[in-house]
Amino acid sequence: MPKRLYRSFQALLLLGMSIFLGSKAASGQLTFYINQRFVPLTIFGVVFLALLAQTIFTEIKRARQRDDEHDHDDHDHAPVASNLWFMLVPLLIGVLIPARPLDSSALSTKGFNTSAPLVSGDSSAQLFETDSEERNILDWLKLFNYDRDVSKFYGQKASVIGFVYFDEALGEKQFLVSRFVISCCSADAYALGMAVNWDEAAALEQDSWVLVKGTVNSVTLDGVVVPLIEAESVQAVPAPEQPYLFP
Amino acid sequence: METTRPLSRNLILTILIGVLLVIFFSLFPASFFSWLWNRLNVFATVFLGIFIEAVPYLLLGTLASGLVEVFLDRDQMSKWISHRPVAAAVGGAFMGLVFPVCECGVVPLTRRLFNKGLPLSAGISFLLAAPVLNPIVILSTAAAFGWGGMLLWRVGISLTIAITVGLVFSVEKDPSNILRPVLTLAHDHHHEAPATLAEKLRQALLITADEFFEMGRYLIIGAMLAAALQTFIPQSSLLGIGSGPVFSVLVMLVLAVVLSICSTVDAFVALGFLGSFSFGSVLSFLTFGPMVDIKSVIMYLQVFRRKPVAYLVAIPFMMSLLAGVLFNYLQP
Repeated sequence: MPKRLYRSFQALLLLGMSIFLGSKAASGQLTFYINQRFVPLTIFGVVFLALLAQTIFTEIKRARQRDDEHDHDDHDHAPVASNLWFMLVPLLIGVLIPARPLDSSALSTKGFNTSAPLVSGDSSAQLFETDSEERNILDWLKLFNYDRDVSKFYGQKASVIGFVYFDEALGEKQFLVSRFVISCCSADAYALGMAVNWDEAAALEQDSWVLVKGTVNSVTLDGVVVPLIEAESVQAVPAPEQPYLFP
Repeated sequence: METTRPLSRNLILTILIGVLLVIFFSLFPASFFSWLWNRLNVFATVFLGIFIEAVPYLLLGTLASGLVEVFLDRDQMSKWISHRPVAAAVGGAFMGLVFPVCECGVVPLTRRLFNKGLPLSAGISFLLAAPVLNPIVILSTAAAFGWGGMLLWRVGISLTIAITVGLVFSVEKDPSNILRPVLTLAHDHHHEAPATLAEKLRQALLITADEFFEMGRYLIIGAMLAAALQTFIPQSSLLGIGSGPVFSVLVMLVLAVVLSICSTVDAFVALGFLGSFSFGSVLSFLTFGPMVDIKSVIMYLQVFRRKPVAYLVAIPFMMSLLAGVLFNYLQP
């Protein structure tokens, strides 16, 4: 491939990658893929990729001027052209396959966790203090994991949002209200869930998003004590903008 | 007529394969396709997760490499770095404190430094230690585990492994037996050295762009492999094997390779395993993961010949395994 053509494709791909990442950031879909704390890094990537594209566009223009002046033949070798086509792969996958956060279909390989350790920066005291209805699924599991004596949480009011997941270990009128937790990116996702007792559980659809309100209790699944909500209401809600929880 | 025959034969073959494929896939029930579509969605999300996470770090690594190429000359390099093997290996291991790169960025940078005359032992120990022994990773490990044992042991064991491997490689006197010939480095060089600072920066950015494509290729292949493994192999089947002081370490080591997450954030992931795995097993995840995972091995293969890559994988594997198992026996 002639050098100038190589440079043109290179600049277009860099620009394309910058626009792709930028549009993901603008639409908020970036958090389908990575933890929100790394979003600024991606923004840096967007800017830097655009800068690289700009540098190459300038280089193409200057090379053309050089050629006009000297009319020397270009003895520079273009780098391997096939490198360029690989950069199309993430662009094509990103554009052709509709963006969808992980859901129950990922559970079969991603696995299900019933415990969530406290990050050393977390103060457990702070968690105890938060209003019980403000806690999300991750907070509840942290508390249950932190404290051997979970009975002190019994009777507290809970109000959590998650997607419905039916597990074989559960009874007929039960389901798990679940969220995926992401530390770094979707590669390390794992699901967390609280069991829910709800008479009309069978009417719910797998993967549908619900707001569960009720009082907290516990149930033992596979030898692990898991928080359980005796639901007073289970209400269908739209999927939250940030489908995952970030520890 | 003779020349058209192979073409028409190819055409017939293509149609035949197409028909067979249609018949083959129509044997599956419709639920297979919705299953496949779901898997494909998971694959895309995981692949883009690894890729998007890694892009800024790869950009920073290739930028460092471009700046080194333009601003560092060979004479300066040989002034700073000792050529005695032990000193070089130890010095190389600590260079990560100056170049804060993770395992995606360290590969192009190391190659560039080799090109500038960095001794083998120093480059190898830099390659292996830098993804752990750099300010960003130390801070993120401390954020997850606190300023305590896990951080100290992680840094200490990574240093030990990196320096050991660096010394092993110092036995080889001829770098061309270890390194692959450099074919595709940016050839934007002009006949006279660029004079102004702006011109030098421009030059560095062009090298950055070329190298981003060159290394990005292997990042993409690695991320696709890792995503495919994660999409089709249940993690629970892997975690299920994981009990006992030796097997639990092995599981963590395999998981470190399969997950292929960046060393700047792997501490938060490792923390999640602390509930079901021992201190030693998680420690081995934290020392081995930054040195060897699917994408970094594929990138190593572009810089080193095959046999050295085998050493680069095997020695850290053995030493991480040994460290993890020792910890499991000493403090179960």
